[in-house]
Amino acid sequence: MEIKGSVAIVTGGGNGIGEAVAKYLISNGAKVAVVDVAQKNIDRVVKDIKEMGGEAIGVQANVASEPDTAKFISATLAAFGKLNVTVACAGIIRDGTMLSLDKETGKVNRKMGLDKWQPVIDINLTGTFLTLRDSAEAMVNGGWEGLLVTISSVNKEGQVGQINYSSTKVADALMPKIIVGEFQLRHIHNIRCVGIAPGYTATPMVEGMNQEALQHILKDVQIGRLVRPEEIARLIGHCIENEAIDGTTIEITGGLCYEGGVAK
Amino acid sequence: MQTFRYNDIEFSLTVAGDAWDLASRSSDGREAIVGTGLFAGAGADDALLRAKSLSKTIYPAGIRLVGPDVDHPLKIGDMKIVGPDVSHPNLIYWDKDSTSFPRTL
Repeated sequence: MEIKGSVAIVTGGGNGIGEAVAKYLISNGAKVAVVDVAQKNIDRVVKDIKEMGGEAIGVQANVASEPDTAKFISATLAAFGKLNVTVACAGIIRDGTMLSLDKETGKVNRKMGLDKWQPVIDINLTGTFLTLRDSAEAMVNGGWEGLLVTISSVNKEGQVGQINYSSTKVADALMPKIIVGEFQLRHIHNIRCVGIAPGYTATPMVEGMNQEALQHILKDVQIGRLVRPEEIARLIGHCIENEAIDGTTIEITGGLCYEGGVAK
Repeated sequence: MQTFRYNDIEFSLTVAGDAWDLASRSSDGREAIVGTGLFAGAGADDALLRAKSLSKTIYPAGIRLVGPDVDHPLKIGDMKIVGPDVSHPNLIYWDKDSTSFPRTL
Protein backbone atom coordinates (compact mmCIF):
# COMPACT_ATOMS: atom_id res chain seq x y z
CA MET A 1 0.00 0.00 0.00
CA GLU A 2 1.29 3.45 -0.83
CA ILE A 3 1.49 6.04 1.91
CA LYS A 4 0.85 8.84 -0.58
CA GLY A 5 -2.88 9.37 -0.88
CA SER A 6 -3.74 7.18 2.08
CA VAL A 7 -5.75 8.32 5.10
CA ALA A 8 -4.50 7.59 8.60
CA ILE A 9 -5.66 7.89 12.18
CA VAL A 10 -2.93 8.28 14.80
CA THR A 11 -4.07 8.10 18.41
CA GLY A 12 -1.73 9.67 20.90
CA GLY A 13 -0.75 11.84 17.95
CA GLY A 14 -0.14 14.90 20.11
CA ASN A 15 3.38 14.00 21.20
CA GLY A 16 6.12 11.38 21.33
CA ILE A 17 5.91 8.45 18.93
CA GLY A 18 2.41 9.41 17.76
CA GLU A 19 3.51 12.90 16.77
CA ALA A 20 6.47 11.50 14.84
CA VAL A 21 4.22 8.99 13.05
CA ALA A 22 1.67 11.67 12.14
CA LYS A 23 4.35 13.98 10.72
CA TYR A 24 6.13 11.17 8.88
CA LEU A 25 2.90 10.13 7.18
CA ILE A 26 2.10 13.75 6.30
CA SER A 27 5.57 14.29 4.85
CA ASN A 28 4.99 11.24 2.66
CA GLY A 29 1.65 12.42 1.30
CA ALA A 30 -0.93 10.89 3.64
CA LYS A 31 -3.88 12.69 5.21
CA VAL A 32 -3.95 12.30 8.98
CA ALA A 33 -6.42 12.54 11.85
CA VAL A 34 -4.41 13.53 14.92
CA VAL A 35 -6.24 12.10 17.93
CA ASP A 36 -5.17 12.96 21.45
CA VAL A 37 -6.65 13.61 24.86
CA ALA A 38 -4.79 16.94 25.20
CA GLN A 39 -6.16 19.69 22.94
CA LYS A 40 -3.06 21.87 23.33
CA ASN A 41 -0.90 19.05 21.95
CA ILE A 42 -3.30 18.53 19.05
CA ASP A 43 -3.18 22.26 18.28
CA ARG A 44 0.62 22.26 18.22
CA VAL A 45 0.89 19.22 15.94
CA VAL A 46 -1.87 20.34 13.55
CA LYS A 47 -0.24 23.79 13.38
CA ASP A 48 3.08 22.14 12.46
CA ILE A 49 1.28 20.07 9.81
CA LYS A 50 -0.28 23.25 8.42
CA GLU A 51 3.22 24.72 8.07
CA MET A 52 4.30 21.52 6.30
CA GLY A 53 1.46 22.06 3.83
CA GLY A 54 -0.24 18.83 4.86
CA GLU A 55 -3.85 17.78 5.30
CA ALA A 56 -4.98 16.97 8.82
CA ILE A 57 -7.73 17.22 11.36
CA GLY A 58 -7.36 17.26 15.12
CA VAL A 59 -9.80 15.39 17.32
CA GLN A 60 -9.75 15.44 21.10
CA ALA A 61 -10.77 12.04 22.40
CA ASN A 62 -10.35 9.52 25.17
CA VAL A 63 -9.51 6.25 23.41
CA ALA A 64 -11.06 4.24 26.24
CA SER A 65 -14.47 5.72 25.43
CA GLU A 66 -16.70 4.09 22.80
CA PRO A 67 -18.47 7.37 21.92
CA ASP A 68 -15.12 9.14 21.55
CA THR A 69 -13.82 6.32 19.33
CA ALA A 70 -16.91 6.57 17.14
CA LYS A 71 -16.33 10.32 17.03
CA PHE A 72 -12.81 10.23 15.65
CA ILE A 73 -13.63 7.48 13.16
CA SER A 74 -16.66 9.44 11.89
CA ALA A 75 -14.68 12.67 11.77
CA THR A 76 -11.94 11.03 9.70
CA LEU A 77 -14.45 9.70 7.21
CA ALA A 78 -16.27 13.06 7.09
CA ALA A 79 -13.01 14.91 6.41
CA PHE A 80 -11.21 12.52 4.08
CA GLY A 81 -13.80 10.01 2.85
CA LYS A 82 -11.88 6.81 3.69
CA LEU A 83 -9.52 5.15 6.16
CA ASN A 84 -6.42 3.09 5.34
CA VAL A 85 -4.04 3.20 8.30
CA THR A 86 -4.66 3.29 12.04
CA VAL A 87 -1.75 3.56 14.46
CA ALA A 88 -2.82 3.14 18.09
CA CYS A 89 -0.08 5.08 19.87
CA ALA A 90 -2.10 6.36 22.83
CA GLY A 91 -0.61 4.95 26.00
CA ILE A 92 0.23 5.82 29.59
CA ILE A 93 2.35 4.50 32.45
CA ARG A 94 1.59 4.37 36.19
CA ASP A 95 4.62 2.47 37.47
CA GLY A 96 4.84 0.75 40.82
CA THR A 97 5.31 -2.66 42.39
CA MET A 98 2.31 -4.83 43.22
CA LEU A 99 3.35 -4.94 46.88
CA SER A 100 5.56 -2.74 49.03
CA LEU A 101 7.07 -4.15 52.20
CA ASP A 102 7.92 -2.44 55.43
CA LYS A 103 11.72 -2.57 55.77
CA GLU A 104 11.62 -3.33 59.49
CA THR A 105 8.76 -5.84 59.76
CA GLY A 106 8.91 -7.36 56.28
CA LYS A 107 5.13 -7.13 56.12
CA VAL A 108 3.14 -5.61 53.31
CA ASN A 109 2.52 -1.95 53.99
CA ARG A 110 1.14 -0.90 50.60
CA LYS A 111 -0.49 -2.53 47.57
CA MET A 112 -0.84 -1.21 44.04
CA GLY A 113 -4.33 0.25 43.92
CA LEU A 114 -6.81 0.17 41.10
CA ASP A 115 -6.09 3.87 40.66
CA LYS A 116 -2.74 2.79 39.15
CA TRP A 117 -3.96 -0.41 37.51
CA GLN A 118 -7.19 0.51 35.81
CA PRO A 119 -6.22 3.67 33.84
CA VAL A 120 -3.33 1.78 32.21
CA ILE A 121 -5.62 -1.12 31.29
CA ASP A 122 -8.25 1.32 30.02
CA ILE A 123 -5.95 3.37 27.78
CA ASN A 124 -3.32 0.86 26.66
CA LEU A 125 -5.52 -2.21 26.26
CA THR A 126 -9.19 -1.25 25.97
CA GLY A 127 -8.26 1.89 24.04
CA THR A 128 -6.18 -0.07 21.54
CA PHE A 129 -8.97 -2.64 21.18
CA LEU A 130 -11.66 -0.02 20.54
CA THR A 131 -9.45 1.93 18.13
CA LEU A 132 -8.61 -1.18 16.10
CA ARG A 133 -12.11 -2.65 16.28
CA ASP A 134 -13.83 0.48 14.96
CA SER A 135 -11.10 1.18 12.41
CA ALA A 136 -11.42 -2.37 11.08
CA GLU A 137 -15.20 -1.96 10.92
CA ALA A 138 -14.81 1.19 8.82
CA MET A 139 -12.21 -0.45 6.54
CA VAL A 140 -14.29 -3.60 6.01
CA ASN A 141 -17.52 -1.73 5.39
CA GLY A 142 -15.78 0.79 3.15
CA GLY A 143 -13.92 -1.88 1.20
CA TRP A 144 -10.62 -0.01 1.71
CA GLU A 145 -7.18 -1.54 1.85
CA GLY A 146 -5.83 -1.07 5.35
CA LEU A 147 -3.21 -1.57 8.02
CA LEU A 148 -3.85 -1.64 11.77
CA VAL A 149 -0.85 -0.97 14.01
CA THR A 150 -0.57 -1.64 17.73
CA ILE A 151 2.23 -0.11 19.77
CA SER A 152 3.61 -2.67 22.17
CA SER A 153 6.92 -2.33 24.03
CA VAL A 154 10.06 -4.31 24.66
CA ASN A 155 8.71 -4.47 28.22
CA LYS A 156 6.13 -6.96 26.98
CA GLU A 157 8.69 -9.46 28.28
CA GLY A 158 7.74 -8.41 31.80
CA GLN A 159 9.25 -5.48 33.64
CA VAL A 160 9.30 -5.37 37.43
CA GLY A 161 7.50 -2.22 38.53
CA GLN A 162 5.27 -2.28 35.47
CA ILE A 163 2.83 -5.14 36.12
CA ASN A 164 0.06 -2.95 34.70
CA TYR A 165 1.97 -1.57 31.69
CA SER A 166 3.72 -4.84 30.76
CA SER A 167 0.43 -6.74 30.97
CA THR A 168 -1.12 -4.38 28.43
CA LYS A 169 1.91 -4.38 26.15
CA VAL A 170 2.09 -8.17 25.91
CA ALA A 171 -1.57 -8.06 24.90
CA ASP A 172 -0.86 -5.33 22.33
CA ALA A 173 1.90 -7.57 20.92
CA LEU A 174 -0.48 -10.52 20.66
CA MET A 175 -3.38 -8.69 19.03
CA PRO A 176 -1.98 -8.71 15.47
CA LYS A 177 -1.86 -12.51 15.40
CA ILE A 178 -5.44 -12.83 16.65
CA ILE A 179 -6.81 -10.10 14.41
CA VAL A 180 -5.08 -11.43 11.29
CA GLY A 181 -6.33 -14.93 12.12
CA GLU A 182 -9.85 -13.58 12.40
CA PHE A 183 -9.49 -11.74 9.08
CA GLN A 184 -8.26 -14.96 7.47
CA LEU A 185 -11.30 -16.86 8.77
CA ARG A 186 -13.59 -14.10 7.46
CA HIS A 187 -11.86 -14.02 4.06
CA ILE A 188 -10.69 -10.45 4.65
CA HIS A 189 -7.43 -10.26 2.72
CA ASN A 190 -6.94 -6.52 2.18
CA ILE A 191 -6.51 -5.43 5.81
CA ARG A 192 -3.33 -6.28 7.69
CA CYS A 193 -2.31 -5.87 11.31
CA VAL A 194 1.16 -5.48 12.80
CA GLY A 195 2.57 -4.56 16.19
CA ILE A 196 5.61 -2.40 16.88
CA ALA A 197 7.54 -2.98 20.10
CA PRO A 198 9.91 -0.08 20.74
CA GLY A 199 12.73 -0.14 23.25
CA TYR A 200 13.72 2.94 25.21
CA THR A 201 12.65 5.83 23.01
CA ALA A 202 13.56 9.51 23.08
CA THR A 203 10.13 10.76 24.05
CA PRO A 204 9.76 13.77 26.36
CA MET A 205 8.83 11.32 29.14
CA VAL A 206 12.03 9.25 28.88
CA GLU A 207 14.35 12.18 28.15
CA GLY A 208 12.98 13.99 31.17
CA MET A 209 13.72 11.17 33.58
CA ASN A 210 16.57 11.13 36.10
CA GLN A 211 19.71 11.48 33.96
CA GLU A 212 21.67 9.01 36.07
CA ALA A 213 18.95 6.39 35.60
CA LEU A 214 18.88 7.19 31.89
CA GLN A 215 22.63 6.61 31.56
CA HIS A 216 22.20 3.30 33.40
CA ILE A 217 19.58 2.25 30.84
CA LEU A 218 21.76 3.29 27.91
CA LYS A 219 24.55 1.00 29.15
CA ASP A 220 22.44 -1.93 27.91
CA VAL A 221 21.62 -0.44 24.50
CA GLN A 222 24.07 -1.55 21.84
CA ILE A 223 23.79 1.59 19.72
CA GLY A 224 24.43 3.63 22.86
CA ARG A 225 21.47 5.97 22.58
CA LEU A 226 17.70 6.08 22.77
CA VAL A 227 15.65 5.04 19.76
CA ARG A 228 14.32 8.13 18.01
CA PRO A 229 10.54 8.44 17.48
CA GLU A 230 11.27 9.24 13.82
CA GLU A 231 12.99 5.84 13.45
CA ILE A 232 9.85 4.13 14.75
CA ALA A 233 7.76 6.22 12.35
CA ARG A 234 9.95 5.09 9.44
CA LEU A 235 9.45 1.44 10.47
CA ILE A 236 5.69 1.95 10.48
CA GLY A 237 5.97 3.56 7.06
CA HIS A 238 7.84 0.47 5.86
CA CYS A 239 5.09 -1.76 7.29
CA ILE A 240 2.50 0.23 5.34
CA GLU A 241 4.41 -0.21 2.09
CA ASN A 242 5.49 -3.84 2.53
CA GLU A 243 2.46 -6.10 2.20
CA ALA A 244 4.36 -9.16 3.40
CA ILE A 245 4.64 -7.75 6.93
CA ASP A 246 1.50 -8.99 8.64
CA GLY A 247 0.31 -10.71 11.81
CA THR A 248 3.51 -10.10 13.74
CA THR A 249 5.12 -7.73 16.23
CA ILE A 250 8.45 -6.17 15.35
CA GLU A 251 10.92 -4.95 17.95
CA ILE A 252 12.92 -1.76 17.42
CA THR A 253 15.23 -1.39 20.40
CA GLY A 254 18.66 -0.32 19.21
CA GLY A 255 19.99 -3.67 20.35
CA LEU A 256 18.71 -3.65 23.93
CA CYS A 257 20.53 -6.32 25.92
CA TYR A 258 20.32 -7.95 29.29
CA GLU A 259 23.32 -7.22 31.51
CA GLY A 260 26.25 -9.18 30.15
CA GLY A 261 25.41 -8.58 26.52
CA VAL A 262 22.62 -11.06 25.80
CA ALA A 263 20.17 -9.46 23.39
CA LYS A 264 16.66 -9.19 24.79
CA MET B 1 -13.32 33.92 5.49
CA GLN B 2 -16.67 32.33 6.29
CA THR B 3 -17.92 31.83 9.82
CA PHE B 4 -20.67 29.75 11.36
CA ARG B 5 -21.79 28.86 14.84
CA TYR B 6 -22.56 25.39 16.15
CA ASN B 7 -23.62 24.98 19.76
CA ASP B 8 -21.44 27.39 21.71
CA ILE B 9 -18.51 27.22 19.28
CA GLU B 10 -17.67 29.77 16.59
CA PHE B 11 -16.02 28.28 13.50
CA SER B 12 -14.07 30.08 10.81
CA LEU B 13 -13.29 28.67 7.40
CA THR B 14 -10.47 30.27 5.45
CA VAL B 15 -8.93 29.60 2.05
CA ALA B 16 -5.47 28.01 2.15
CA GLY B 17 -4.23 27.63 -1.41
CA ASP B 18 -6.70 25.36 -3.19
CA ALA B 19 -7.91 23.94 0.14
CA TRP B 20 -9.45 25.20 3.36
CA ASP B 21 -8.46 25.62 6.98
CA LEU B 22 -11.07 25.28 9.70
CA ALA B 23 -10.57 26.83 13.14
CA SER B 24 -12.76 27.05 16.21
CA ARG B 25 -13.24 29.42 19.12
CA SER B 26 -15.25 28.19 22.08
CA SER B 27 -17.31 30.39 24.40
CA ASP B 28 -14.49 30.44 26.96
CA GLY B 29 -12.15 31.91 24.34
CA ARG B 30 -10.14 28.77 23.61
CA GLU B 31 -9.03 28.58 20.01
CA ALA B 32 -8.08 25.45 18.05
CA ILE B 33 -7.18 24.45 14.52
CA VAL B 34 -9.84 21.89 13.68
CA GLY B 35 -8.34 20.95 10.35
CA THR B 36 -5.87 22.13 7.75
CA GLY B 37 -5.61 21.56 4.00
CA LEU B 38 -9.20 20.30 3.91
CA PHE B 39 -11.64 19.87 0.99
CA ALA B 40 -9.05 20.49 -1.75
CA GLY B 41 -10.64 21.98 -4.86
CA ALA B 42 -14.01 22.58 -3.22
CA GLY B 43 -15.84 25.85 -3.84
CA ALA B 44 -16.90 28.13 -1.00
CA ASP B 45 -20.45 26.80 -0.67
CA ASP B 46 -19.41 23.15 -0.83
CA ALA B 47 -16.55 23.75 1.63
CA LEU B 48 -18.93 25.45 4.07
CA LEU B 49 -21.37 22.53 3.91
CA ARG B 50 -18.60 20.01 4.47
CA ALA B 51 -17.09 22.09 7.27
CA LYS B 52 -20.43 22.19 9.08
CA SER B 53 -20.82 18.43 8.70
CA LEU B 54 -17.27 17.83 9.97
CA SER B 55 -17.77 20.15 12.93
CA LYS B 56 -20.87 18.27 14.05
CA THR B 57 -18.89 15.05 13.87
CA ILE B 58 -15.90 16.30 15.86
CA TYR B 59 -17.97 18.18 18.43
CA PRO B 60 -21.10 16.04 18.68
CA ALA B 61 -23.84 17.07 21.04
CA GLY B 62 -26.61 14.67 21.68
CA ILE B 63 -27.82 11.88 23.88
CA ARG B 64 -27.91 8.17 23.38
CA LEU B 65 -30.65 6.32 25.20
CA VAL B 66 -29.84 2.82 26.36
CA GLY B 67 -31.60 0.36 28.59
CA PRO B 68 -32.01 1.04 32.28
CA ASP B 69 -28.96 0.69 34.46
CA VAL B 70 -30.33 0.71 37.97
CA ASP B 71 -26.88 0.93 39.53
CA HIS B 72 -25.61 3.85 37.48
CA PRO B 73 -25.00 7.02 39.49
CA LEU B 74 -26.18 9.17 36.61
CA LYS B 75 -29.48 7.34 36.25
CA ILE B 76 -32.47 9.63 35.75
CA GLY B 77 -35.65 7.64 35.99
CA ASP B 78 -34.92 4.61 33.83
CA MET B 79 -32.47 6.40 31.57
CA LYS B 80 -28.72 6.21 31.84
CA ILE B 81 -26.97 9.21 30.32
CA VAL B 82 -23.84 8.37 28.36
CA GLY B 83 -21.86 10.13 25.68
CA PRO B 84 -23.31 10.61 22.21
CA ASP B 85 -23.13 7.82 19.66
CA VAL B 86 -22.41 9.85 16.56
CA SER B 87 -22.97 6.94 14.24
CA HIS B 88 -26.40 6.09 15.63
CA PRO B 89 -29.19 6.68 13.11
CA ASN B 90 -31.40 8.17 15.80
CA LEU B 91 -28.83 10.64 17.05
CA ILE B 92 -30.29 14.10 17.48
CA TYR B 93 -27.84 16.95 17.30
CA TRP B 94 -28.60 19.46 20.02
CA ASP B 95 -28.25 22.87 18.42
CA LYS B 96 -28.68 24.86 21.63
CA ASP B 97 -26.20 25.54 24.36
CA SER B 98 -24.88 22.04 24.97
CA THR B 99 -23.10 22.92 28.20
CA SER B 100 -26.30 24.01 29.90
CA PHE B 101 -28.27 21.01 28.67
CA PRO B 102 -27.51 18.60 31.53
CA ARG B 103 -28.47 21.20 34.11
CA THR B 104 -31.97 21.54 32.66
CA LEU B 105 -32.89 17.89 33.21
